[in-house]
Amino acid sequence: MNSMNKKIFNEIKAIFKNIEFTDIDERKYSVIIPKEKAVSFLETLKRKGFSHMSLITCIDWIAEKEFEIVYTLFNWETGTTLMVKTRVDRDNPILPTVMEIWPTAKYYERDIHEFFGVKFEGNPDLRPLILEKWEEIPPMRKDFDSAKYSKEHFPDRAYDVDFLLEGSESNE
Amino acid sequence: MSKEVKLFLGPNHPGMHGNSSVHLYVEGDTVVKARLVPGFLHRGFEKLMEKRLWFQNLALIPRICVPEPDINEMVFAMAIESLTKTEIPERAHWIRMIILELARIASHLMAMGGIGGATGLYTMPYWTMPDRDRILDIFEKITGARIYHMYIIPGGVRKDLPGGIEKEILAVLDYLESRKPEYENLLLKHRVIRTRTKGIAKLTKEEALEMGVTGVGLRATGLPYDIRKIDPYARYDKVEFSVPTATEGDAYARFTLKYLEVQQSINIIRQCIDMMPKEGPVNIKFTRGSALRLRVPAGSIYCHVESSRGEYGYFVVSDGGEMPYRIHVRGASYPQGLYGVESKLPGTRLEDVALWLGTMDFCSPEIDR
Amino acid sequence: MTKQQSAWEKVANMLRARSLWMLYYCTGCGAIELPPTMTSRFDMERFGIGPMATPRQADILLITGYLSTKTLRRVVYTYEQMQAPKYIVGFGSCTLNGGIYYDSYATINKLDLYIPVDLYLAGCMPRPEAIVTGFKKLMEKIDKGEADGWKRYQENYEWYKKNQLDALGEVYIHDEFHE
Repeated sequence: MNSMNKKIFNEIKAIFKNIEFTDIDERKYSVIIPKEKAVSFLETLKRKGFSHMSLITCIDWIAEKEFEIVYTLFNWETGTTLMVKTRVDRDNPILPTVMEIWPTAKYYERDIHEFFGVKFEGNPDLRPLILEKWEEIPPMRKDFDSAKYSKEHFPDRAYDVDFLLEGSESNE
Repeated sequence: MSKEVKLFLGPNHPGMHGNSSVHLYVEGDTVVKARLVPGFLHRGFEKLMEKRLWFQNLALIPRICVPEPDINEMVFAMAIESLTKTEIPERAHWIRMIILELARIASHLMAMGGIGGATGLYTMPYWTMPDRDRILDIFEKITGARIYHMYIIPGGVRKDLPGGIEKEILAVLDYLESRKPEYENLLLKHRVIRTRTKGIAKLTKEEALEMGVTGVGLRATGLPYDIRKIDPYARYDKVEFSVPTATEGDAYARFTLKYLEVQQSINIIRQCIDMMPKEGPVNIKFTRGSALRLRVPAGSIYCHVESSRGEYGYFVVSDGGEMPYRIHVRGASYPQGLYGVESKLPGTRLEDVALWLGTMDFCSPEIDR
Repeated sequence: MTKQQSAWEKVANMLRARSLWMLYYCTGCGAIELPPTMTSRFDMERFGIGPMATPRQADILLITGYLSTKTLRRVVYTYEQMQAPKYIVGFGSCTLNGGIYYDSYATINKLDLYIPVDLYLAGCMPRPEAIVTGFKKLMEKIDKGEADGWKRYQENYEWYKKNQLDALGEVYIHDEFHE
């Protein structure tokens, strides 16, 4: 199992220079790639056996002013998970789409566009998928405060008795 | 002259699985265009998790997937244990497997009842639901709740199995096996089911792989891909079970596989009860002080399990703080629900939409999150 | 709060309470306990309650748990399609005060601001036994003429509409093709 991974990784290293595969756990690896090379890198991985795309996700690193896009791939033959990470500027987040490689990516990208505001060039359909009539900043960004929004838009029930303070003592 | 009609299938429709909607263009009875409209069950889970402590999230995560909540707890616990490099006690692994397999049986029974709704064979839910309730009663005895258990926690399971529960589990399994001839008559040999599902909602091997379909939908095309075998977690590498496959790739093949998987789960639970250490600790303390103060080392990880519907995974990022930095839930029905509806339904008949959603194991809360 | 009922209303309410059709619409996770309640173990049909496919023929609308704003639009549509007398049962703590999703940006916190609720079932989630007991309570209330949410909705229509618009912006459903 492990030798097969090594073989695949060495083949990829021969094509793409300065790539480091980091070992996270048993059968789990991660790799960082600049965004310009991401599409060709992913296509190579797909041909080398990492054919199943589990997930595309996004992380908002607000302190570093960057979005991190993570493509999680899975190899059905060896049972290896590989996380391909790429970073993009937070002020101008534009990435090429990967829907030619995995058609389902269309919806993952639509999801990320809705919740983070990352644009995917080449994806024809980036309309809102889950939310309706959303007018604030994309909600999964770190600077969006969910509790504050909820307080402003959806009134709470007012309780006459504060059950946390008084409810424990019996009033009967 | 043909005329296209716009049709909303759901969310308020008996053929829909859960609260979601399929918007269709139909020409006569044939679907021309189809789009899934998700989001009716969106609660912003991933955002809420970032504002709760690691252990507080335990109360939140089972609610993502209602028919089979235990897989959520399992992947979340696996992710934390992997990030903190913790080994959990041996007995906890086996208890987790029993819980997961019981939940798989319950979920499959529910899905088999749902097929009754889509095909018009209403006897089916009346048989499977009370049988599922027997498993829920077992859950209630073990964990204290019927649906949301919050039983599998990081570091093991919440408490040990109650005394004598093994006998009751085995009794339920025996009962389920005794129902085998009846189920086969009603489900697999029944004329209504056979006429309605053979050759319907087909999926080929190449399409399934390209779309990223996992679980029963993929195995019905002939590939024996099961994460329990390929990327084993807990102690699935120690028990013996087979992965049932079929080659037709139609609706009938898919729920035949579901029925066969119930048999395999029964075998696994029997082996677990046989092979598990009879006593010993079932959990470990994470921190010396309060468990609420747990800090997870910085890092990111993706953990996945084989749920009854396919690959179910959590992508967990920690920045070393008391709360998760980012969690993304990979619902098993994401590919077949969104891209599958768009690409595979045009050309089929209107009444097959419910069959596609039913047999491909569509679960709306895990798409909406 | 029991109002004086006319003889006609008394007879009508007695009959209404004995044949209830509940709408088959699972708005949230509480719906997972409905199939066991409907089928042979708990069998709610023995109390005279059955599932119904279309809102126009249903009497009870079950709000089974949290409501996201997207669902609330459909629920208002559905509720206004139903014929009076109609009753709403709110399941679980999410309908009462937001429950575990109190700080979520997508779910409402207090259901009776938007549509009138006749009965709440506490718990997350209510067990089948609780659902059956809740339905029995609802029947008693209908019999006594206390379940008058549909009248309240008619009388305070502007107030309910204002609350709905505050939370939703508009109560209108666009289709996915956006054409």
